[in-house]
Amino acid sequence: MAEMLRFCAAAGLIRNSEAAVTAAECRGRGRWAAVRCSSRAIPGQEAASRLVAGVGAAGGAEGKGLAERLRLGSLVPDGLSYKESFVVRCYEVGINKTATVETIANLLQEVGCNHAQSVGFSTDGFATTPTMRKLRLIWVTSRMHIEIYKYPAWGDVVEIETWCQGEGRIGTRRDWILKDLATGEVIGRATSKWVMMNQDTRKLQRVSDEVREEYLVYCPRTPRLSFPEENNGSLKKIPKLADPAQYSRLGLVPRRADLDMNQHVNNVTYIGWVLESMPQEIIDTHELQTITLDYRRECQHDDAVDSLTSSEFAENGSTNGTATTKPHDQELQQFLHFLKSSGTGLEINRGRTEWRKLIR
Amino acid sequence: MVASMATSVFFPVPSSSSVASAKAPKPINEGPERLGIRGIVAKPASQSGAMEVKAQAQAIPKVNGTKVGLKAEAQTVEDDAPSAPRTFYNQLPDWSFLFAAITTIFLAAEKQFTLIDWKPRRPDMLADAFGLGKMMQDGLDFRQNFSIRSYEIGADRTASIETLMNHLQETALNHARSAGLLVDGFGSTPEMTKKNLIWVVTKMQVLVERYPSWEDVVEVDTWVASSGKNGMRRDWHVHDHRTGQTVLRATSVWVMMNKLTRRLSKIPEEVRAEIEPYFVDRDPIIDEDSRKVQKLEDNTADFIKRGLNPRWGDLDINQHVNNVKYIGWILESAPISILESHELAGMTLEYRRECGRDSVLQSLTAVSNHGSDGSPEAGIECQHLLRLESGAEIMRGRTQWRPKRAQGLQNMGPLPAGNT
Repeated sequence: MAEMLRFCAAAGLIRNSEAAVTAAECRGRGRWAAVRCSSRAIPGQEAASRLVAGVGAAGGAEGKGLAERLRLGSLVPDGLSYKESFVVRCYEVGINKTATVETIANLLQEVGCNHAQSVGFSTDGFATTPTMRKLRLIWVTSRMHIEIYKYPAWGDVVEIETWCQGEGRIGTRRDWILKDLATGEVIGRATSKWVMMNQDTRKLQRVSDEVREEYLVYCPRTPRLSFPEENNGSLKKIPKLADPAQYSRLGLVPRRADLDMNQHVNNVTYIGWVLESMPQEIIDTHELQTITLDYRRECQHDDAVDSLTSSEFAENGSTNGTATTKPHDQELQQFLHFLKSSGTGLEINRGRTEWRKLIR
Repeated sequence: MVASMATSVFFPVPSSSSVASAKAPKPINEGPERLGIRGIVAKPASQSGAMEVKAQAQAIPKVNGTKVGLKAEAQTVEDDAPSAPRTFYNQLPDWSFLFAAITTIFLAAEKQFTLIDWKPRRPDMLADAFGLGKMMQDGLDFRQNFSIRSYEIGADRTASIETLMNHLQETALNHARSAGLLVDGFGSTPEMTKKNLIWVVTKMQVLVERYPSWEDVVEVDTWVASSGKNGMRRDWHVHDHRTGQTVLRATSVWVMMNKLTRRLSKIPEEVRAEIEPYFVDRDPIIDEDSRKVQKLEDNTADFIKRGLNPRWGDLDINQHVNNVKYIGWILESAPISILESHELAGMTLEYRRECGRDSVLQSLTAVSNHGSDGSPEAGIECQHLLRLESGAEIMRGRTQWRPKRAQGLQNMGPLPAGNT
């Protein structure tokens, strides 16, 4: 426990204590301590004590494995949310020298998984409560909304906080806030809606009170939203884009690496597919700020999908099926997306993205 | 794939080093290391004093998030006769602003100390807190730990070979970075940069003994050595951190190429002087598999998968496909029956060409032996080819497979190493 405390304390303090750490150790091998030693990074006190307390609250049994400690994740003191830090690895970085949106989505998924595990939900990666497992129920994503204000680069450390809560009678939601650990700056927010489905029949199911009670105990009592503002992007309806689409990429197939343990295509792969039909001229000059994805149908390992993209607001000012005519921000490019099965034409998912101009 | 160093550069902090280690600075010859990720070898400009970074790579903070004077032209390059120990201080530029910052931080940190029950902790734990790794005592080996994340797991609940290969790539880069070598994410040594030279990988051999599972921690050690007259070798040894058992061993060969003409190059004398002192004198961690890897054709392949496309997420900052993706592609045409019953025990890969966003690739596989006695214990060997639709070869390889172990029988059998 003491070791864990120290570890996390050092993590929280890293900005301040680099020198102190190396001094205290008298060996100067604090390689990691080299990170983010910035003269402005003084206000670590609060964060540090929160982190330390958090570790204590998380029930730091002495025997916590290295994996736990390396993961640097734990429930916060009140136990209602979970925080974890990740360092961005070189292979997670893309053409802009910053983490790709798929990397971000993977990390969101990872921290969601680890949250569920830390409160004792299933450890098979599915975050199911005991009742759900009995009834062969699993959670499936129905909507995912991610906003990134500043993409982290290789070696940056991102702290992600996540929590879940009920959403009406049918589902739950999971929210995330992403911060740059070094500066404390919020670099992104995300929210997602989940519904319950029977694993075998693949049919949706209402969340029974029994199940709700099992997980609600870990959720904030009063609603806490990562997008508390009115009319925020995460609530927008996504229209179906008009035929014919401006851009398309057809016949995309899942790779082996895209499949989860049950041969279903991983959520994050859909994000990659949706972006496949983005034109090079936008990819070269813009950065993805927002992506909203509605998941309608799942994809199996031998399905092929077509990815369609169109600009949301056409040149002549007519809207592409969008109800409101909000003024087109010159700096933000907005697109609608549609993924359908190549064979049947059935909708797999639909999406909306916003891109901001890159300052090169 | 390769990140620019513009946003995360590491600098030596003379004061903290001197505070931290009361002993004399170590000789420099274990300092800058090479790394080879698609030709990234870098040596920093030394205004930052990066050459003074002791091999244990301590205390290289980012000062106010800006890089301090790292330019490609390093005036101290010629002085970097790495074999002679140099004193730390006569290389320093004016660090007074840094000293002030460090002192402030130090004082603030002292305050923090009273809040925490402090006990000296193992430095490698701290260094690896965020998985950035550290240089080992001898200044030659670099070590980094990785916790296997949930999305890195394959269908059989173990880390995929791509995940493991990604870790190798990450450690190689971090090795260079911790030695203060990485400039711009691509740098070659200053002499290489002057001549537009980069390292490119030509051969990779991997032997996997066991696959880690979700939440296992793997410890990766890496080092470099010379390879023939004009090449470099980078080796890795990966252990399960908890049990100490070997996870995998890998060795790779890199050659120098002119990035403009795309032609291979001998190592110029000036570059040799820069890099030779950093090579470890050690045999390759895997005996070289010198059997020729045959090139498959349509009529010799058993399985062909066409229409493989790079996605945006596969590209590095030069819009080339990350090397590790190729491995996923060569396995695309491996029959699912083998993947379900066997696990990849080893592979030998020969890289020929790179590809970009608009490439359309084909993956060919031939299963070359099923085990002469047909017994379930026998291994399988396959040959692979990855090529463009146009026919141009991207890479070829040979893979060995052994039957999957039942859960819990972790110590079953030695590697088949290509025989049945």
